[in-house]
Amino acid sequence: MVNRAGIIAKISKGTKMDQIYLPKIRSGLNTGEYVLIQQISADEMTGEKEKTAKSSKPIFYNLKYLEPIKMQIIEKVFEIIGRESPENIIITGSFLEKGFNFNDIDVLVISNDTNLSNLKKEIEKATGIPAHLIVMDNKTLIAGLSSDPLYEMMLSKSVSKKKVIFNIKRQMNYKLLDLNLLKSKTMIDNFEILNGYEKYYFTLNLISILLFINNKKISKKSVNNEIEKLFKISVKAIKDNMAGKGFFDKYKEIYTKTQNLIFNNIK
Amino acid sequence: MNRNKLIELFIANLSNAVLHKILEKAIDIQEISLRYSKEIINSWEIAKRYREKINPIGRALPSHDIEGIRNSIIKKVKVEINQRIDRGYENLDFSLVDDFVDDALKHFSVI
Repeated sequence: MVNRAGIIAKISKGTKMDQIYLPKIRSGLNTGEYVLIQQISADEMTGEKEKTAKSSKPIFYNLKYLEPIKMQIIEKVFEIIGRESPENIIITGSFLEKGFNFNDIDVLVISNDTNLSNLKKEIEKATGIPAHLIVMDNKTLIAGLSSDPLYEMMLSKSVSKKKVIFNIKRQMNYKLLDLNLLKSKTMIDNFEILNGYEKYYFTLNLISILLFINNKKISKKSVNNEIEKLFKISVKAIKDNMAGKGFFDKYKEIYTKTQNLIFNNIK
Repeated sequence: MNRNKLIELFIANLSNAVLHKILEKAIDIQEISLRYSKEIINSWEIAKRYREKINPIGRALPSHDIEGIRNSIIKKVKVEINQRIDRGYENLDFSLVDDFVDDALKHFSVI
């Protein structure tokens, strides 16, 4: 009886009414929708438990809430890519932010078979959402996580098919950091013509590198907090293109400081 | 924005793009140059924006402009490379600069 949008749950005793708890992150079963509650037998329960164990539930990292419709999309993506038996599938990026203000869905496929890019069209056809598919092997993922702050930030909020090992010792590759920092130089040359979102992303890149060098934890939240602390302006205001000269001067100062930290260690 | 300012910004962004290419060549672990954020527009794209505003559009610039732009980009990139070499950065290949700059200028119909 359990279909795609079904959950097996136990009835728990309440004071005035008994209740069934639904996980906040679930596929389908949106709030406000009507559902049918039906009893299942002990045998059916055992069967469903086995099925669930085999299908393995997605793993959520730093995600407190996800719209049920998004969860359905993620399961569809897992199903399509899962047919190719990759080592892991990781969903990340703006798709996981609250609401529907995303342009596409970022899918990281961990596999030795790098010819999986053709799955992009299939995902787009099935979900109606543009897909940004990155295929890499596990070795590359580990190398990225250990030496590239962007990887750490990208994966800090994610949903994966299997567990991702984040406890990887950082390795400072100052050449890579120099290269990543160069992206943020674009802001210095073009501050006046950039829109708020572009300014935000250049700042995000800069501060994530600074935190990485200082051996601080990197997540979208921690980087945003640091931006607000250092620049004394909200992330929203930056995105709304309200950052002015004071922000720009501080940006240049932090860019130079970060570049010096990199240059002092480069070999 | 006047033409000289547009050229100046075009030079700054193209220099950054060329330097990026040179640094990429020198990096030890190439496979991890993942482009995490599609949202970050790069210098190459911004240079394109400026080129599209510099007349004549779609065909080569006058020879005095070409010479000035080419020399400025090469100079800027070499200053950045030297800055890194002075700090001990290894494997940076000076010989790539001229070719990379010429390719980029051809790409943007400057030459």
